[in-house]
Amino acid sequence: MTKNPHPTPTRDELLRSSGVLLIVDDIQPPPGLVPKGGTPTPKPKELALFIAVCEDGAVYAFNGHVDLGTGIRTALIQIVAEELDLSMEQVRMVLGDTERAPNQGATIASATIQISAVPLRNAAAEARRFLLQRAADLFGVPVEDLRVEEGVVIAGEGNRRISYAELVQGQHFQIRVSGTAPLKKREDYTLVGRAAPRVDIPAKATGEFTYVHDVRVPGMLHGRVVRPPYAGIDSGEFVGNSLVGVDESSIAHIPGVVGVVVIRDFVGVVTEREEQAIKAARELKVTWKPWTQKLPDLSDLAQALRDNPSSPRKVLDKGNVDAAIAGASQRMSRTYVWPYQMHGSIGPSCAVADCNDERVKVWSGTQNPHLLRADIAWLLEWAEERVEIIRMEAAGCYGRNCADDVAADAVLLSRAVGRPVRVQLTREQEHVWEPKGTAQLMEVDGGLNADGTVAGYDFATSYPSNGAPTLALLLTGRVDPVGAVFEMGDRTSIPPYDYDHMRVVINDMAPIVRASWMRGVSALPNSFAHESYIDELAFAAEVDPVEFRLRHLRDERAADLIKAVAERAGWQPRTAPQQTPPDENVLRGRGFAYARYIHSKFPGFGAAWAAWVADVSIDKRTGDIAVTRVVVGHDAGQMINPDGVRHQIHGNVIQSTSRVLKEQVAFEDSLVASKEWGGYPILTFPEVPDIDVLMIPRETEQPLGSGESASVPSAAAIANAIFDATGIRFRELPITAERVREALHGPSDPGVQAPAEPPKGGRRFSKWLTGSIAGLCGALLGVAATALPFRAEIAPVSRPSADTWSAATIERGRQLAAAGDCAVCHTTANGAVNAGGLAFETPFGKVYSTNITPDPDTGIGNWSFAAFDRAMRQGISRDGRHLYPAFPYTSFQNISEGDMQALYAYLMAQAPTRSRTPEADMAFPFNQRPLLAGWNALFLNRTKHQPDPQQSAEWNRGAYLVNGLGHCSACHSPRNAMGAEKTGAAYLAGGMVDGWEAPALNALSKAPKPWTEDDLFQYLRTGFSDRHGVAAGPMTAVVKELSTLPEADVRAMAVYLASLGTGAEAPAVQPVAASAAPVPTTASLSNGERIFNGSCKACHSDGTGPVLFGVSPSMGVNTNVHSDTPDNLARVILHGIAQPATRDLGYMPAFKDSLSNRQAADLLAYLRHRFAPDKPAWESLESAAAHARANLGTH
Amino acid sequence: MEKTVSLKVNGRDVQVTAMADTPLLYILRNDLALNGPKYGCGLGECGACTVIMDGVAARSCVIPLAGAEGREVVTLEGLGSSTEPHPVQQAFIAEQAAQCGYCMNGMIMTAKALLDRNPNPSLDDIRRELSGNLCRCGTHVEILRAVQRAARGTR
Repeated sequence: MTKNPHPTPTRDELLRSSGVLLIVDDIQPPPGLVPKGGTPTPKPKELALFIAVCEDGAVYAFNGHVDLGTGIRTALIQIVAEELDLSMEQVRMVLGDTERAPNQGATIASATIQISAVPLRNAAAEARRFLLQRAADLFGVPVEDLRVEEGVVIAGEGNRRISYAELVQGQHFQIRVSGTAPLKKREDYTLVGRAAPRVDIPAKATGEFTYVHDVRVPGMLHGRVVRPPYAGIDSGEFVGNSLVGVDESSIAHIPGVVGVVVIRDFVGVVTEREEQAIKAARELKVTWKPWTQKLPDLSDLAQALRDNPSSPRKVLDKGNVDAAIAGASQRMSRTYVWPYQMHGSIGPSCAVADCNDERVKVWSGTQNPHLLRADIAWLLEWAEERVEIIRMEAAGCYGRNCADDVAADAVLLSRAVGRPVRVQLTREQEHVWEPKGTAQLMEVDGGLNADGTVAGYDFATSYPSNGAPTLALLLTGRVDPVGAVFEMGDRTSIPPYDYDHMRVVINDMAPIVRASWMRGVSALPNSFAHESYIDELAFAAEVDPVEFRLRHLRDERAADLIKAVAERAGWQPRTAPQQTPPDENVLRGRGFAYARYIHSKFPGFGAAWAAWVADVSIDKRTGDIAVTRVVVGHDAGQMINPDGVRHQIHGNVIQSTSRVLKEQVAFEDSLVASKEWGGYPILTFPEVPDIDVLMIPRETEQPLGSGESASVPSAAAIANAIFDATGIRFRELPITAERVREALHGPSDPGVQAPAEPPKGGRRFSKWLTGSIAGLCGALLGVAATALPFRAEIAPVSRPSADTWSAATIERGRQLAAAGDCAVCHTTANGAVNAGGLAFETPFGKVYSTNITPDPDTGIGNWSFAAFDRAMRQGISRDGRHLYPAFPYTSFQNISEGDMQALYAYLMAQAPTRSRTPEADMAFPFNQRPLLAGWNALFLNRTKHQPDPQQSAEWNRGAYLVNGLGHCSACHSPRNAMGAEKTGAAYLAGGMVDGWEAPALNALSKAPKPWTEDDLFQYLRTGFSDRHGVAAGPMTAVVKELSTLPEADVRAMAVYLASLGTGAEAPAVQPVAASAAPVPTTASLSNGERIFNGSCKACHSDGTGPVLFGVSPSMGVNTNVHSDTPDNLARVILHGIAQPATRDLGYMPAFKDSLSNRQAADLLAYLRHRFAPDKPAWESLESAAAHARANLGTH
Repeated sequence: MEKTVSLKVNGRDVQVTAMADTPLLYILRNDLALNGPKYGCGLGECGACTVIMDGVAARSCVIPLAGAEGREVVTLEGLGSSTEPHPVQQAFIAEQAAQCGYCMNGMIMTAKALLDRNPNPSLDDIRRELSGNLCRCGTHVEILRAVQRAARGTR
């Protein structure tokens, strides 16, 4: 149990306390949620508490903005400790809690230091003035004679001292911020402006820190939500109106379910334990209305944004733009497109809510606790005073993620069950539903005059994003799903350059996809356009782009910064792309960009200035692009914590480089399809550039926000560097290898796959079904006339007592049963061993394995050895009925007499289980069991094996095990039209079982490396061969059984199987070095590559990744990748390997909830292309994935 | 199927009864109240849940409880405390290698496993070892320095 994470008294408790000095002020809170059709009503002013000095020695400081992982808590402590002459350890900083901290609105725009810290600092100064005056009065000395050390006021030579705590002892002082208290002089600073270690890191590094994810309260339950199918769309009449029904009985089998909560489209489950909630949410049967919505096509973002209804807002119109541009000697119209991107918090959002009839308490990682309080109050139709938000730290967020959504989810679930509920969103839910950083369209018209000056600049930007209403409000119908239009496209919409004729228009528009602010907001895309365009103008004017910028800048601080950064980077002036050095395979380039982040309501405030010099390196063949080095200059005015600023700059450089090179939300049918990190890859350690930070010292200037500024020049700097390297302008992000390759070499392929066929049932068995049913019936009937269709019953016997046999015989029988994998087929997933009932889908219908425990009624308890022996060798049940040859008596006929006796002994010695076998469900004529007599007459003898005296004893032992008990051919031999194993050259040539391909074990093996005796031994013994791959599907159970056999028997099987000539050495065997890998040639392959890198590579890296628990199977040598069919691979990708053959192999997660059929198909196509380049591409992969998804199989 | 499983966590023998397929992550967090390992993706893609199992970095979100039976698991809490941090933790603190810090568990545990195996890794070795650990705040520079510092300390 986590201790009460907040022993801090509330504001009201402090207002009532004695022994305190409180510094308060009346503040105007930002307006809350606007009701349907309403207008914002200004909230009444409220009393904000900023500083509390307590008689117990505690000094609290309160700020309405929160720490989103930027270290702002540490910087605020520096400010307060500095003004009050305290050590940093003495200040308890309280951020965001609605019962404690002032309502200063959302933590956005990197404005905490610049704006919300100002009253806090004034309050600290006020407290200091008051305390010093009080000490002066007590000591009878002038204030000027006092000094303070760590909260102790000292007079004169130090013989008179009194602490702050003592100064407030037994008193209640409450004073307002006057704004007249003198601030400490900068030259006296000992904390502000100096690097301070973050106060939170030691606890975070040791697991002692309590994130919102770690909150546990007494009686807490676990909840999960089920989101609707309109993935990532939050406006349209279908939102909140799509649920048909929820079938609660579908989770009746899951223990611990406390409640299922359904309110219109809001669906959630509550359970005692977290894993129960996960399972319940996954298995709850929820029916939604059929999806018929026609959403805007997002495959062409520029067009989608142009088509989105908008209203133009002109924020600048200077000179005569139209005439100036009409007169340009060189006119340039350019369009820039920014894609949808994700915040991608590493921890999906989480919250705990404790709701009773009176109050609700919410532990949340929100970036806007007071706004969340208003949302929750609106959701519950309660007064805000009944809602308390306790702000806990969460995984970093860079704008509005799902933190508020999950808080509201937790409230609804807690209200329904009357107990505290913790709700954790899944990775998929966070990816799909987080309000995206929106796509943005920037269109620039302009050009150059004949003298090389800029003719005009006509800029229009479209930014479809708003505040993204908290999801529960929309899903429950509390707020209408009508996309509000926000005016946020104007951040840094006015370029920093003083063009004579300039017009800037913002096309305000509602979101298309659920979207809200994300780091850099609209300033980052707008600056991508401004800074790309000016680079183009400079080259067109044949002026160095740095020089060209300086000519048009009027801001001296900006000019100073630009010059400093150019010098630091060793910028060489250029008037044409350098494309240097002319390396054989690599292009290198360098680009410049500058921007200042202008945030908040237009015209807004300027945050820090930033400039980049980016170096890129491009692989000519593959188009792979690396940002190798970034020199970044930054002027944030005075820096409270220079180390904190430096970390923010590093973070901004890395995150924005990632956004520029890699990031783009994928859509399928206009719904969000990126559900995990393969579908939305971000920059990884090997891709991180060297970063050289230049922080301009401006200690006497106002401190400015630095949480976003360093991002803003990123895209243009990188795009300009790529132009320098290639001579090609990229105006749409991300600039992926695929796009660079296409630009360098032209499209190598239309990149369009033929539309996949819809999945068809039984597709994989089509080969089996091609035989004429009529002919088959005829054959069977014909043979049946001459065979014995009806066999005699063998009389029942009493079950022999267990002491009939020696322990040695029973043990031998156990080993034989293991070799024969009896339990694999005769046991259901959660059933008793050998009690039967496992279903087998065959081309002819469904059969069930029988109960082979010694239960006299439902099992084989009354079977004599003769009956058992006949069943094993001829497929005739004791009562004379024919067994279907899914039971491999065709192999078992080869078992020796002694082994059969031992097997019988073992089975009879086990505990009986009563379990009746379901009736087979076979299609006519296969439901006519007597016909199997004819089948036996045709096929039984063909699989009889004799020892080969020419071979060694070991080989013969192996042959006996493989062809007898082991019945390998039952799965690994193809079957003919009548379901009989083929023999001769087709013997062990590969078959299909339960939807899995059992690969060829003979010379027809597709394995890229031959299976040697050692490979086979290792594989059969452990379930893994590093030259071939890992056992999955039915083979895992086989290996589990084999692991209990004597090693010599497994070795013998390997000797025999190796002698069948399992494949020839393939030429040019993998693993292939990355540089030599085949280049993806289609959009599908490129997408597959991204998914492989993000989803698979950590465990399948061929030695280029981490060492992780379990084996790391190489795809290059994997037999399945080289097979004729993708079935096994598709199954393993979608369903994972939850129960590996042996326990050291490790586990493979199932991707069925994270990858769509199209994504799985792209991944399969890429794996084939990359790791089996000599093999033909697989076809119809989407339907193969759909089939594998729908058919888990029973093994 | 519910199962009682014995394993060793941070040097202590523990027995846990839960569904056998429950990811180890939830056992550590909910049954043993260990907050170090974090839920990030549930797919072994991001590394936030990393623990060290039998001496090797392991993604606790994809390892079922049954897979940890009889094994020795070390979590972030098992290395050291804020007053007595393990040298790798100390290196991360010294380099201030966290912004939000959510990924830090995985970074430290993966680095610890690497340094146990190879006390003298090159920068490329470190980049490769951490290539499957995602950080969204962009703390990579400080993290790389922290692992290098920890390596210097172990030499």
